[in-house]
Amino acid sequence: MADAAVVDHDEVAPHAHIEHDTNTGISNTKLAMWLFLASECLLFGGLITTYLLYKTPLTIEQGPAPKQVYDIPFTSVSSFVLLMSSLTMVLAVAAIERGDHHRVRTWLAGTALLGSIFIAGQVYEFTVFKSEGMGYTTSRSSSAFYTLTGFHGVHVTVGIIMLISVLLLSLRGKIPEHRSETVETVGLYWHFVDVVWIVIFAVVYLIP
Amino acid sequence: MMETQSVESDRSKVISTGFLDGARRNYPREVEYVVVAIGLAIITGLEIATYAAPGFPLWHWDDKVGLVMFLLLLMAVKFWTVAYFFMHLRFDKPILTRAFYTGVLLALGVYVAVLAMLHGFIAGQH
Repeated sequence: MADAAVVDHDEVAPHAHIEHDTNTGISNTKLAMWLFLASECLLFGGLITTYLLYKTPLTIEQGPAPKQVYDIPFTSVSSFVLLMSSLTMVLAVAAIERGDHHRVRTWLAGTALLGSIFIAGQVYEFTVFKSEGMGYTTSRSSSAFYTLTGFHGVHVTVGIIMLISVLLLSLRGKIPEHRSETVETVGLYWHFVDVVWIVIFAVVYLIP
Repeated sequence: MMETQSVESDRSKVISTGFLDGARRNYPREVEYVVVAIGLAIITGLEIATYAAPGFPLWHWDDKVGLVMFLLLLMAVKFWTVAYFFMHLRFDKPILTRAFYTGVLLALGVYVAVLAMLHGFIAGQH
């Protein structure tokens, strides 16, 4: 029994997760990520509510309202890019579960690239909005808009950093199949930023 | 060569729960993820159609309530699909679903109450 406790899982479990001594049967890392994502719902809920309350400037002199400067076709393409990054992410998770390291790296790099395209689009969008007279402090509605979408952009950027870190670890052989939960946990975070954007795209951009 | 063939054949199979962390069902084949993604792309296309085709009668039902309800429905379907298939809530233990939806419902309840309290649902109040 004592011997079992000191067994090196790297040697005995080449194609399975490390067995966890948890009451739930789920690794602490994965459970912690889910609880973190649940708490993030409250953060983004607050930001979306603030935007909904302040989406109209108090006076016309305060500059254009966000709705007047949106470029829906451009944002639609950005949304599609982020949505497809969720597909590449889940394919990376499936690849690591199967032990296909080459494909894991390909899909992780693809996901990071799509995320970078989304962020580049957001930076371009903000630049255009600023040139059209809607800066961060122009009105309460512009502040609420930039805070909400900016916070989401920061989350995507953090996700890209996490993806690149996992990619580098994979290239150095530090993520064998039985540690696939590392990729899965990063994947959960990435999918969450996608579902948040699904809500933002509908509530902020499309709903009149 | 043999290894490549083995990986190719693996890709067409489900991933057994024995290899997964906290799963109660096998994870799907890769082609199923692609099918789900195509479905999500179609829903996104429908969302964009509400903007591209503003004259559609449903959008104008009850002073655009029809449009708002349609977009909220599509948003909810996309949210649920990503959470259930891509985030594996459908395949993992229910405790994860409960943990996540506790956060979602708490946020929804609190902020709908805030919007109602501050008359956020009444046009022109803000």
